[in-house]
Amino acid sequence: MLEAINLSKSYGGHMAVSDLNLSVATGDIYCLLGANGAGKTTTINLFMGFINPTAGQVKVNGLDVASESNETKKHLAYIPENLMLYPNLTGIENLDFFCGLAGKSYDKEQLEEMLIDCGLQPEFIHTWVSQYSKGMRQKVGIALARAREASVLLLDEPTSGLDPKASNEFSELLLSMKEKGVATLMATHDLFRAKETGTHIGIMKQGELVHSLEADAITVLELEEFYLDTMTIAKPQES
Amino acid sequence: MIRRIMLKEFKENLRQGRFRVSLLIVSLLLLIAAWLSFSYFNSIQQQHAEAKENARNIWVSQDEKNPHSAAHYGTYAFKPKYPLSLIDHGVDKYSGISIFLEAHKRNESQFMAAADQTGLSRFGDLTPDFILLFIIPLLIILTGYNAFTRERELGTWQLLRSQGLPVWKLALGKWGGVFLPIFLLTAGLFIIAAVLLGNLQDFGQFNLAALLLMFVVYLVYYAIFVNLTLIVSAISRHSGISLVSLLLVWIVVCLAMPKASSNLADAAFPYPSRQAFASAIDEDKKLGLDGHNPWNQAAKEFERETLEKYGVDSLHKLPFNFDGYRMQKGEEHEAEVYFKHYALLKETHQQQTKVYQAATVLSPFLPTRFLSMALARTDYRTHWDFADAAEKYRLKMQEALNMDFAENSSYGNWAYRADKSLWKNIPDFSYTPPSYGTVLQRNSGNLVALAVWMFVSFFGLRYFTGKI
Repeated sequence: MLEAINLSKSYGGHMAVSDLNLSVATGDIYCLLGANGAGKTTTINLFMGFINPTAGQVKVNGLDVASESNETKKHLAYIPENLMLYPNLTGIENLDFFCGLAGKSYDKEQLEEMLIDCGLQPEFIHTWVSQYSKGMRQKVGIALARAREASVLLLDEPTSGLDPKASNEFSELLLSMKEKGVATLMATHDLFRAKETGTHIGIMKQGELVHSLEADAITVLELEEFYLDTMTIAKPQES
Repeated sequence: MIRRIMLKEFKENLRQGRFRVSLLIVSLLLLIAAWLSFSYFNSIQQQHAEAKENARNIWVSQDEKNPHSAAHYGTYAFKPKYPLSLIDHGVDKYSGISIFLEAHKRNESQFMAAADQTGLSRFGDLTPDFILLFIIPLLIILTGYNAFTRERELGTWQLLRSQGLPVWKLALGKWGGVFLPIFLLTAGLFIIAAVLLGNLQDFGQFNLAALLLMFVVYLVYYAIFVNLTLIVSAISRHSGISLVSLLLVWIVVCLAMPKASSNLADAAFPYPSRQAFASAIDEDKKLGLDGHNPWNQAAKEFERETLEKYGVDSLHKLPFNFDGYRMQKGEEHEAEVYFKHYALLKETHQQQTKVYQAATVLSPFLPTRFLSMALARTDYRTHWDFADAAEKYRLKMQEALNMDFAENSSYGNWAYRADKSLWKNIPDFSYTPPSYGTVLQRNSGNLVALAVWMFVSFFGLRYFTGKI
């Protein structure tokens, strides 16, 4: 479970995230929408503990990220927009290495099976990652998240730049993890994907979470209209 | 976990062409250097044994002659070549290999290998110590300069951090990944050295513990370089900046500091010129007894004291040949003069050593170099120890010859001929170098300097990686 309580992050005078309150329960997929610079990636980075909040608190499965950064990471799996792996290692070697760092140990057959389950073509399993496409690297990332048996998944625009087929496969993998009770927070620009895979949708604007919706309560067209309206209307200025 | 990171780093390095080519070149250089050094060692060892045997044969096969003539005829003391000089040639090339032992004079060592070489030798020789001290640190830099910067440049740093891994564990793993190939390379060289030295005919002097100790000294030196490399990589923004910074560190540590400290030591505590040294000795010699000059003031005074001591009024009435006795007393006076002036040289050396010791704060190269030479017994201290032993032997030899002359002939009988057996009765020169315990005690400052570098650089690594 993920919680942001009155969370703020500022850089100099600029508020990247402002008074954010958010909760992602077990089995939920919370999709954060917003324009570039809205604060989506900053929010993910705060949950990851890569940066410290200016105010407020971030919790992962009840643990405070700021004070127990390494401990909370044991519950998390993270896939950035452009997942980079070690180019001189094969996909299976990368997976084995990162699993090992997370304290998980699998034999070769199990690792191969995980990669294949995540959609990586078998002929690429033992190929150096330098020859992988972005989509293939993202699949290794998902395999890693599954192998780590993480209860929380943080995704920062994971389908950006993927072709529709790969993007669809990625969504299916997310849904399969949802079935296993994984709480997912995903920053994305893809409204369609957010509606199809998300259980909740949040819209961020200038560091604030301006709307939070149930995905089932809205159609894709309504979401698009709502999103565009939100982006167009100027943020109310405090008097 | 640390082992896993270390093996990953090692595997990644092995898959990089740059690393493989560098490792291959350094390995080949090491093998060539070891082979050249071994051939040189064998040839010198053989020459040394032949020269030593010849010098002894020439000495013992002298005809009957006046002992003082034999003292002037003289013989040689040869400096032994020690097995570990196969790895570190030290100052052997410049310190000479033998000392001519004769009456009245303490000679400098001669037959320096450097004197036999052409001007091209200024470029330096390909020796194992050159590769161990200069080239392997470069290999460390080449292997580890991008250990942290590459993670940032590739974009793998965040994924790594997201695994909940403490950074110091990651740093230790990376440390192992850089150190492992260096350890294997160095271990390979020392195993080859052990095998070669173990198969030498003159195996008596070889000490495996000393070889292992030298191996450990080099490993500590490399550990320090790995620490420095990872610290610079951790604080640099880009791999290029890290590489340039580390090359600057290498230049300062391995090239600039040793040369600067040498110049500084020379400027602060200069040795006298050879001419000034010789003339100062001559001046002091003149102030005392000259065994060959019965008319000098000190000789006349000594004559008067001897006559008084034995209660006789003529040198002819003494129970020994006063010429031989005076010769011995003259030798003792000259020995004191030499002792005084060489002690001054040693004092200057001590003061220069203090400058070098101070410079170890800025360069781990210096303590490593000194320890390596000391363990190989190719340093100046060992050379001086040998020169002192040769001088002691010369004085004993002169005493035996002078006393034979004094006790077996009468005053004024310069026609006296000693029996050939006298030459054989004077034992051959043999030199036992200081024990390794003494060597380590003498180099305790260097050991401490290396240990401090090791701990401070490890602490620095922990500190700076914690700041990433």
